[in-house]
Amino acid sequence: MVIGNRAVAAPTSDLRDSRSLLMSSAKRPMSPYMLGPYYKFQITSVLSILNRLTGVFISLVTAPLLLCWLITLAAGDAAFAILNTWLGSGLGKLVIAASVFSYSFHLFCGIRHLIWDAGWMMEMQQVNLSGWLAVVSSVVLSLIILGAAL
Amino acid sequence: MNTQTPLARVDGLASPGGGMRHWRAQRYTALVLLLLSVWILWLGVSLTGADYVTARAAMSTPFNAAMTIFLAATMFYHTQLGLQVVIEDYVHIAVMESVLLLMVRLGCIGAFLITAIAVLKLLSGA
Repeated sequence: MVIGNRAVAAPTSDLRDSRSLLMSSAKRPMSPYMLGPYYKFQITSVLSILNRLTGVFISLVTAPLLLCWLITLAAGDAAFAILNTWLGSGLGKLVIAASVFSYSFHLFCGIRHLIWDAGWMMEMQQVNLSGWLAVVSSVVLSLIILGAAL
Repeated sequence: MNTQTPLARVDGLASPGGGMRHWRAQRYTALVLLLLSVWILWLGVSLTGADYVTARAAMSTPFNAAMTIFLAATMFYHTQLGLQVVIEDYVHIAVMESVLLLMVRLGCIGAFLITAIAVLKLLSGA
């Protein structure tokens, strides 16, 4: 590839070389993990991780719970009563509360992502603001739902 | 929508496979779930702690039955896409990654089928 009158390596082959170099070397120094004592607190990374965690929680706990509710409802009175009793217990209520919070949080974080995907609110100040807005909104929505349901 | 520049495409930069499709599917399902959330949260609040007869009557209406199947299809598709990304990011043993990805796919398809069968059973009153 020629830029001006200098010959330079094409970007693709450059990239491939650096990649194969990275893979061939066994141990290279790594930058410290984004959470922990190395960096100052950033709401962006914390919310990003929480968005994933709540997504995984909904997948592994909330969705199967809703599925169990529907199955027992279809199965009959006795099965439904067993699940309902468990849902009324301390652990059941805790799982419901965690599910409601996870769902609300993932919902507002998702809205935030869709706004970014449209190309809006990309300045750091706006990103921080929308982050706190998502946190406050999800707590408020959770409290409203739990207040109405439990 | 194609977000690759023509140069990036000939250079083979950006997603080599179905990445763009995955990305778009995740957003579309998210948008639909956003709308369906209004319904599921309302239904969830009204049916929490409900007795068997009430819950069964509510879930046996054609509207709620249709919405449940629609929600399950969208939600388990979104679940599959999301868990896939998490697995691809954190599981680096090739065999385990493939097995987990397959399990997630089968699990989500199975969860949708179970939902659909349960809803149809409720709808038929059996």
